[in-house]
Amino acid sequence: MHALCGENGAGKSTLMKILYGMQKPDEGTIAVDGQQVAFASPGDAIARGIGMVHQHFMLADNLTVLENVVLGSEKLHGIGAKARAKIVELSERYGLGVRPDALVENLGVADRQRVEILKVLYRGATTLILDEPTAVLVPQEVDALFDNLRELKAEGLSVIFISHKLGEVLSVADEITVIRRGTTVGTVVPADTTAKQLAELMVGSELPTPETAESTVTDRPVIEVRNLKLLGEGGRALLDDISFTIHEGEVLGLAGVEGNGQTELIDALIGLKGADSGTLRMATGEVGSAGEAAGEPEEITSWPTRRRREQGIGYIPEDRHRHGLLLESPLWENRILGHVTERPNSKGFWLDLKSAQADTRRIVEEYDVRTPGIDVTAASLSGGNQQKLIVGREMSHKPRFLIAAHPTRGVDVGAQAQIWDQIREARREGLAVLLISADLDELIGLSDTLRVIYRGRLVADADPADITPEELGSAMTGAASGHLEHPADESGAAEDRPSGETGDQPEKTEEAAAPEDEAR
Amino acid sequence: MSTAPALDKRPAAASAPGRRRVTLPVLLLIIAGVLALTSLVRIVTGADGITNVSQMSTALKLAVPIGMAGLGGLWAERSGVINIGLEGMLILGTWFGAWAGYQWGPWIGVLAGIAGGALGGLLHAIVTVTFNVNHIVSGVAINILALGVTRYVSAFAFEGVPQGTSKQSPPVESLGQFSVPVLSDGLETINDKGWFLASDIAGLLGGLVTNMSPLTLLALALVPASWWILWRTSFGLRLRSCGENPTAAESLGVNVYKYKYLAVIISGGLAGLGGAFLSIVANPFYLEGQTGGRGYIGLAAMIFGNWMPGGLALGAGLFGYTDSLKLRGGTENVHALLLLIAILVLIGAIWLVLRKKYVGAVIAVAVSALVFAWYATTKEVPTQVVTATPYVVTLLVLSLSAQRLRMPRANGKPYRRG
Repeated sequence: MHALCGENGAGKSTLMKILYGMQKPDEGTIAVDGQQVAFASPGDAIARGIGMVHQHFMLADNLTVLENVVLGSEKLHGIGAKARAKIVELSERYGLGVRPDALVENLGVADRQRVEILKVLYRGATTLILDEPTAVLVPQEVDALFDNLRELKAEGLSVIFISHKLGEVLSVADEITVIRRGTTVGTVVPADTTAKQLAELMVGSELPTPETAESTVTDRPVIEVRNLKLLGEGGRALLDDISFTIHEGEVLGLAGVEGNGQTELIDALIGLKGADSGTLRMATGEVGSAGEAAGEPEEITSWPTRRRREQGIGYIPEDRHRHGLLLESPLWENRILGHVTERPNSKGFWLDLKSAQADTRRIVEEYDVRTPGIDVTAASLSGGNQQKLIVGREMSHKPRFLIAAHPTRGVDVGAQAQIWDQIREARREGLAVLLISADLDELIGLSDTLRVIYRGRLVADADPADITPEELGSAMTGAASGHLEHPADESGAAEDRPSGETGDQPEKTEEAAAPEDEAR
Repeated sequence: MSTAPALDKRPAAASAPGRRRVTLPVLLLIIAGVLALTSLVRIVTGADGITNVSQMSTALKLAVPIGMAGLGGLWAERSGVINIGLEGMLILGTWFGAWAGYQWGPWIGVLAGIAGGALGGLLHAIVTVTFNVNHIVSGVAINILALGVTRYVSAFAFEGVPQGTSKQSPPVESLGQFSVPVLSDGLETINDKGWFLASDIAGLLGGLVTNMSPLTLLALALVPASWWILWRTSFGLRLRSCGENPTAAESLGVNVYKYKYLAVIISGGLAGLGGAFLSIVANPFYLEGQTGGRGYIGLAAMIFGNWMPGGLALGAGLFGYTDSLKLRGGTENVHALLLLIAILVLIGAIWLVLRKKYVGAVIAVAVSALVFAWYATTKEVPTQVVTATPYVVTLLVLSLSAQRLRMPRANGKPYRRG
């Protein structure tokens, strides 16, 4: 099992595409089993026993597992009973637990990944390439995946494993190659390396961590959500009885496997979907005025999206290509988006293009968006720079409440550190943040309070100071609920951290307070 | 496939909440229910025409071009190419069918019609697959082009030929008709008795065995054949995968361009066959404007059928039936059907009440009452209403069934390799 490590954009995926015949190399050679080969298409690579599990699954939702697996290799075992028998046999041999007749659209992420692996095995692959296989999985699923991989290894297959998560690489690989900016910078054996050394090889300098410094949580609530309920098609509850409060200077981290209601919660907060019941209240006006001066937060349940945004909800969307940007528009137009009615973008009825463009230049500079100019299209920027532009845009309007959904997804390490810094700084200035992320380290590192969402309900809460990703992961799969504590871990880190729940859910506050008392 | 019993598929579509599949027994039960209701209405109103053998036979004849266009749409859209150019391909089919048919005989005409439609399909494929032009734009262009080109070449091909004009081709020899000997007469006898249900079923089946053209038989056979090819062969699997996730298909070594080309050409060929049917079987000549929007209605039938051959055939049957009302005792029959609609809407209202959707239920009751009032206060409907019936039904059925449809995921999306 060979692991390939490197930052985003270091060239890992390109290398794998060449290995799989999707791109052609300009120079150099590839040898399989000592034989030099040249792949013109994925078909050639498959014929040589190389199989690829893509980072973005290559599955057709409306087809069954069986159909997805046999597609393209119908000649092997037909598309009927023989193929089904073969799939069941493979699935049992490697412990994959795949049901051939299920529709792919009904499968979860981990199941889909197993279908992908099965697809590759079905074609008789002896070398498996897995491109960032753990990016979409919770820790328990990662463990299950690693078990599957070890099984494959035991059967004599080779696995190439691409990742930028060092812990995983160290635990699972037999040999690690690190690449940076398109060249190999070293090959190491996990036994004589540490994560730190590996990280330095990878980045070329020290690795940033998402640790926040001291707590800045105040007792002034910015956003209050009460018993929020959202029904889906057919009356099924997508969100049920969601209640939380975020205060000035607080980051509330929301953990959960994707598809458990996060998207719906964002939609309800931003006003894209009307809540079926429950209330939303938000403090408006300047930061710091919410206390006695401004009185109670205003109810915003019936406000349309435009008004919510004007009154201070900032939003970093989970999929910036679908929600955050117009890819074919220049940067300055993207800067105007979502804030069309606000200064400096408009004066009354008219758009103020000059000052919008000037402000775009400011954002590009302040937020270190690497671009040749503000007239290039958003599509021509890398993921990290697109994200920095979005962060800059949202922060430029002094939001009271920021919804940050996967703010560092698909972003390289440098940009990641910058975005973390932005969030931390805004938090210091009194911003309330709802952080939704699949990166548990990021969640634990940045948040003041943690909640776990499972099937549309907030099932558990935790203190980021004394929780491990594994514990969080078990709550994300619904295995644990209530207040999560780290067994017998007496770290004093929780000392000056208010529970963030003041008053609104007394029973939980008491629970949350308990470990702190013990610690003292 | 059945033609007439589907007069109203609304309760069927509506009784499938969420993603629940309508299973075959349930579907048959619904069809039987609607048939029984129709029979009841026939007896109450005395409008025997609504399930008459000759009515059904006409309905079948009218359903064929719609069904072929719909089947063409199915093939194209399953591969991910929206084919709104079906109307144009249908027109090409009528022209080529008649042009070759009057010179070299009807069977050559059929082949020429298929080839003509396939030519339109090829053009659509080149424009949409190779050049990635928006599928709708290309389709509309083909419709306009086909209309213009056939009008233009008719002036050379048909003017000056005996019995031909610039708008109409000389007559094409018939392909012949056949009735299944004993069955046809027997069913007609039962149909004439006017018994409850039995006569109606006899009428329906009688339509399937009386005065049938061999081309009708071929068209009927193409529906299950398409299903078998698309869902039971690896060729079909590959073709469908291009409509669901072409990138994934490509990564598994499927030549997406090739399958899209094939699908769209086959699609054009099927529409061309529908056109040839119009100009050889339905009428023995090509006539300008002969298709009358059947390509679009075929597309509607396909959408109504949820991109499945069986549903599509039901839809085509429904539209063919309403179309046939125009030709035979329409004013009286449509009037009788008002009562059927009133009852069906009322059933829908009861179903809504059971699902606790009271606003919808109240509206449905009101609509039902209005339709019933219309039925009760008049003796027959104006001919204009009869003419409009197929189009009104198309609109109604589409808007009511469109809520629960599932089209191929990558349908209509441009695809570039790599």
